[in-house]
Amino acid sequence: MKKYKDVVDLHDDHGRLVASGIPIAALSPLLNPAIQKIVSFVKQCVAVNLQGVQTSLATGEVGGKWSMLRGRSTKVDLVGNAEAVAKDLKETLQVKPKDDTEVKVLKDGKYLLVTVPAARLNAGVEYTTSATAVAAGLCHVIIDKFNVDMWDSDLVHAAVWGRYPQTMDMLGGNVVSLLSVPQQNEGMGYALRNVLAAHIAMITRKNSMNAAALSSILEQTAHWEMGDAMGNFERFHLLGLAYQGLNADNVVYDIVKENAKTGNLGDCVRSTVKRAIDDGVIKPLEKTKSGYTIYTTNDLNKWNAYAAAGLMAGTMITCGAARAMQHTPSVFIYFNDLLERETGLPGVDFGRVAGTGVEMAFFSHSIYGGGNPAVFNGNHIVTRHSKGFCIPCVAAAVALDAGTTIYTPEKLSGVVGEVLSEVPELREPLKYVNEAAVKIKGEV
Amino acid sequence: MPEYKPQYYPGNTLPSKNRKKYLDPTYKLQKLRTISDDDLIRIMGHRVPGEAYKSTHPPLEETGEPACPIREIVTPTPGAKAGDRIRYIQFTDSVYFAPVTPYVRAWMYHTRYRGVDVGVLSGRVPLEARERDLEKVAKELVETEIFDSARCGIRGATVHGHALRLDENGLMFDAQRRYMFNKKTGEVDYVKDQIGVPLDKPISVGKPIPETELRKRTSEFRVDGNAFRDDKELVSFIERIHRLRTIAGFDPEKVKGV
Repeated sequence: MKKYKDVVDLHDDHGRLVASGIPIAALSPLLNPAIQKIVSFVKQCVAVNLQGVQTSLATGEVGGKWSMLRGRSTKVDLVGNAEAVAKDLKETLQVKPKDDTEVKVLKDGKYLLVTVPAARLNAGVEYTTSATAVAAGLCHVIIDKFNVDMWDSDLVHAAVWGRYPQTMDMLGGNVVSLLSVPQQNEGMGYALRNVLAAHIAMITRKNSMNAAALSSILEQTAHWEMGDAMGNFERFHLLGLAYQGLNADNVVYDIVKENAKTGNLGDCVRSTVKRAIDDGVIKPLEKTKSGYTIYTTNDLNKWNAYAAAGLMAGTMITCGAARAMQHTPSVFIYFNDLLERETGLPGVDFGRVAGTGVEMAFFSHSIYGGGNPAVFNGNHIVTRHSKGFCIPCVAAAVALDAGTTIYTPEKLSGVVGEVLSEVPELREPLKYVNEAAVKIKGEV
Repeated sequence: MPEYKPQYYPGNTLPSKNRKKYLDPTYKLQKLRTISDDDLIRIMGHRVPGEAYKSTHPPLEETGEPACPIREIVTPTPGAKAGDRIRYIQFTDSVYFAPVTPYVRAWMYHTRYRGVDVGVLSGRVPLEARERDLEKVAKELVETEIFDSARCGIRGATVHGHALRLDENGLMFDAQRRYMFNKKTGEVDYVKDQIGVPLDKPISVGKPIPETELRKRTSEFRVDGNAFRDDKELVSFIERIHRLRTIAGFDPEKVKGV
């Protein structure tokens, strides 16, 4: 990894200073222990809907919608015995006593949050190990613990694994990982981008600053895996993560605060330009005949990071004022249009965010199908083009919605969001990543 | 440190200057006509005048909000606060010297109004917002210089017509015949709402703006008016943006001091 001179001031989600002069390398997914822990949790954590398994077994309704095996029923009190199931499942998954395996009972036994030991993942090459290990382990536990008959064991399999292997994923199953199966990734390294904005909003319990941070961590970390954040583009992604996702130098929070009462998107554009001028990121280049000033920069990556932070603030103002998520694509297009017309410099991601906004607008406003912003992710066919700068804004917007959609984030995210919000590092990533950066600042 | 003054739009020609003017929220749009609140509500067709606003969720005060530092500081619009439905008003602007082009509408909405969702399509521009917020905005959009009763149409559906020739009265084609020229008054009357549902009585949206006046107010480039290519400054600006975007896509480090 190259050495970068950039240092930033870290702030929390309320815009309070946490630490000054932190090298941006300390926020790199390659070095920051908290980011690495978050990525590990995403791989290792699996949500189990015990109530769902119990209902499927009792009714024979398995493998998704309109799929029922009439006459098949196995009565098993999984919810009532959740603690015992959790204990047995833990023992099944453990590689060594006292390793990092964890099975937590939630919501009076309705759900389990399972952390699969890293040793299991290290012994394989696919992140699906977590879901497969938990699903298989749970089947064994249920069959053994409740003396399920051999002729009913297939029903247990279907109640846990869903329609798999007839389908590619565990359709209608009750074991859910945040990550989709690799076959559903659009390209190499897309795994961390294949997470619904709804999940992010629910995991962070609708704290939009943390939603932005978690989404940005996943999106930007994926760009290292995709081969994008390499060479001359590494700093582009590092600064993007720091300023847009992690509120570096408090740019996002400051712009939001400045426009919180009466500001609109255009005001956020102008606040962004003013901040960039004040911080010496851009400066006037020349005046045209009409009196228009064209701006220039000696550091386009930094300008991009400021623009990306402004975009996030613009989303928070527009979607925040309306308490509605649907404005995101409009913000993507017109924030950048206006920013370019205000400065003569390229917008966020050099035009890719604006382009993504055009497509997303079509696919999130009914006439061409699609869905509300909560179903979008960085792996989605119309939103994957931006290099990690769109979905964090979508996640923040979903967190700010007061309930304007038919398919709510709660409904879309289901068990996953609720269960994974129990993991502190996923729920409050800004805090943990900042703390980790402070710890390693001298080593990077 | 250089002093920053918002500049909104480059360019030297009249359409560019008009764009800059319309985008600048400190410029007060000139009021040309008066449409009553009730008539505008009838044209939009979302509710009956006097009817209470329907809601999509309970008022924020009743539901409370999740702990979020942004929600703590960002004031919701009155419509969001009350939990209003999100509704729309949609315009079609003729290519024949209408005051604003579709894109200018979008830019202008975002520089002038808070919490709005706008999209630009080939022949129409929907503006979506919480219902009571929308009604407030719509009033300005229809009553001021950015609307012309002949070359702008309020159309929720069947929007086609922006690029067709004008009729004998100078009106933009509308397949649904939502409005017609009233020869007695010289004004344009809406006889159907934006979707095309007949209104109980015609609603006047005023006289068409004369062509000479429209040419002064328009933000459209046309070869028979102000051609885009004649605005050398704007052309070079657009070329600059595309050049920098392309170079940056290859290597951001190569864009320095230009």
